[in-house]
Amino acid sequence: MKQASLSKDKIKAVAIRYGFLTLLAGLVLFFSLSAPGFATPFSAVFIFQSVAITGILALGVTATLVVDGFDLSIGSIATSSLMLSAYIMVVLDQNAVVAVAACLAMGAFVGLVNGFLIVYMRVPDLLATLGMMFLLIGLQRIPTEGRSIAQGMTLPGGETATGVFSKSFLALGRHKFDFFIENFIPFSVIIFVVIAVLIWLYFEFTRYGRVMYAIGSNERAAGLAGVPVHKYKIIAYMISGVLASVGGILLAARLGRGDIASGNNLLLDSVAAALIGFAVLGAAKPNAFGTAIGALFVGILLQGMTMMNAPYYTQDFVKGAVLVVALVFTFSLSNRR
Amino acid sequence: MKITRRIFTSMVAGVALAATGLIGSVSAADMPAPFDKPSEVKIALVRYLSTGDFFQAYLAGVESQAKILGVDLRILDSRQDAALQADMVDQAIALGVDGIIVQHGLTESMQEAVKRAIAAGIKVVAFDVDVENPDVPQIEQSDYMLAKMALDQAIIDNGSTFNVGYVYVPGIAPLDRRDVAWKEVKEANPGIKQLAEFGTLDNPIANSVANQARSVLAANPTITVMFAPYDEFAKGVKIAVDEAGMTSQVKIYSADVSTSDISAMREEGSAWAATAATNPAVVGEVSVRALAMLLAGENPGHNVVVPPTLITQKMLNDGDIKNMKELSAKIPAFAHADVAVPAWMPLPKR
Repeated sequence: MKQASLSKDKIKAVAIRYGFLTLLAGLVLFFSLSAPGFATPFSAVFIFQSVAITGILALGVTATLVVDGFDLSIGSIATSSLMLSAYIMVVLDQNAVVAVAACLAMGAFVGLVNGFLIVYMRVPDLLATLGMMFLLIGLQRIPTEGRSIAQGMTLPGGETATGVFSKSFLALGRHKFDFFIENFIPFSVIIFVVIAVLIWLYFEFTRYGRVMYAIGSNERAAGLAGVPVHKYKIIAYMISGVLASVGGILLAARLGRGDIASGNNLLLDSVAAALIGFAVLGAAKPNAFGTAIGALFVGILLQGMTMMNAPYYTQDFVKGAVLVVALVFTFSLSNRR
Repeated sequence: MKITRRIFTSMVAGVALAATGLIGSVSAADMPAPFDKPSEVKIALVRYLSTGDFFQAYLAGVESQAKILGVDLRILDSRQDAALQADMVDQAIALGVDGIIVQHGLTESMQEAVKRAIAAGIKVVAFDVDVENPDVPQIEQSDYMLAKMALDQAIIDNGSTFNVGYVYVPGIAPLDRRDVAWKEVKEANPGIKQLAEFGTLDNPIANSVANQARSVLAANPTITVMFAPYDEFAKGVKIAVDEAGMTSQVKIYSADVSTSDISAMREEGSAWAATAATNPAVVGEVSVRALAMLLAGENPGHNVVVPPTLITQKMLNDGDIKNMKELSAKIPAFAHADVAVPAWMPLPKR
């Protein structure tokens, strides 16, 4: 009797640990067989490129989830950084370095304000970042009176903008490196992978990362153990803000213009990726590896379905279904929570 | 019919206009009543959609025509809240405006609100929302014509046998009207084969569509024409075509235009071959002019259609056109539509 139930537990443990990855492998196999052109190295690169931006944002979400917080403003930070970089280059006629630096600084500053509101002003995280979201959606439109920013645009004053998107800035979103095949790996994919690895190393292997997990599971206990809780929480929001602004920079480099957008879809997709990440390897907690896999999972699904001519609403449906399954994996099958 | 003050004044206006017409000296200075005292004429623009370049330009057109007429313009913006938009019509009635321009919205919510405004003696015109009322002129940019024009150009450029990827999201009124033209062209040309249909409105739209188009191009490498009858779609498709290294193989045909579209079309060897567009600023001007005609007792007609203009890559390169301003300056058909222009109507300066 005891023996039987033990092995049942074992099976369950294995199912939780590898279930989601198996699902992913099955999906790849299915699309490879049924969608011509799916199983090519180019297709694989497309998938990475299509999830690079939401993936980077999702890693930011992960950072705030780790300290048991939440950041609703990342989508609007990304689109603000999109507008800011375009504004600096096209309207103010500055170069790529200035644009990137300003965006990163903006992201860090917004994260700092978010953290300050949450930690010192005691505004609940959802509300503080919700307010920040609206604030940024409005703010990014004020300098151009609601217009998108494009080269040669007519400014509100009537004169024509003289600046251009610098080549080196556009390369961030468009350049492809040779890797076995010529012009194969886009710059944005490399940035995504590097950031994912760095965030993973930070949370898994550094003292600071582990402390953040400790804060997330019991803030009081961590505080009593001498952890400067406030500082770490603010840092988590700053990581989130900076990563969101990196996402915005890549978006600007890909689009080649400052596009007014609320970024809500970016927010939702990246939160979904981070939550799906809970289920990967049965972690049942926010983790960088899972988040990256979660983003890829959504990317593979959308790529395969688009190749099979599935209309856009079925894609939203499937995205939702995957999220629900992932959450069931996390909260119901796993005992750790 | 009861002779209200408004009808009476407009009759007087008609007589006055006829009289001035006889003398043959019509200038912007002597406009028919109520525009003889234009600062006392109050009109309201009740908006449903306002975010984005198109709506900004539309507003600019409304403002410039209102300014040259000298009327008092109020702008009420419901920001995609249908119920609020209906309330705003009531608000405008309470403000005592003489005329209302309804810009977009839902038939269901606006129909009754517009009826209340008309009952209050207010003249109403509607842009891109069918309020199903014979007293309300409908201002339209012909979406059907937009799509037809772009497709005709595609057939001129590519012959009548080619494989197409089509970008479409059903349920969006202007896209549905553009879809009608596409269906007709497909029917009439059996050589045109649609290999894929995709599309999304997830914003930033260009980025989401680019992701989809990449997949579509990978799955259907024989596509040579992309029909993307909305410029955000076309931008996304162009990104995907460039990323997939298929720039010289695929041609993109679209609708609408903006400064960033112009620079995308003019890139070296750009895949974006042509677009058909109505100038939103002109549509805004026409909306105000049609309303002004109504207020002066004239009839602009029930369907006021602003005709589109075809814009090809060659036209842009030949004229060295870099932005919307230069487009208006160098392609006169784009800068002004000869719609709703009675002799007394002052036109905004170019």
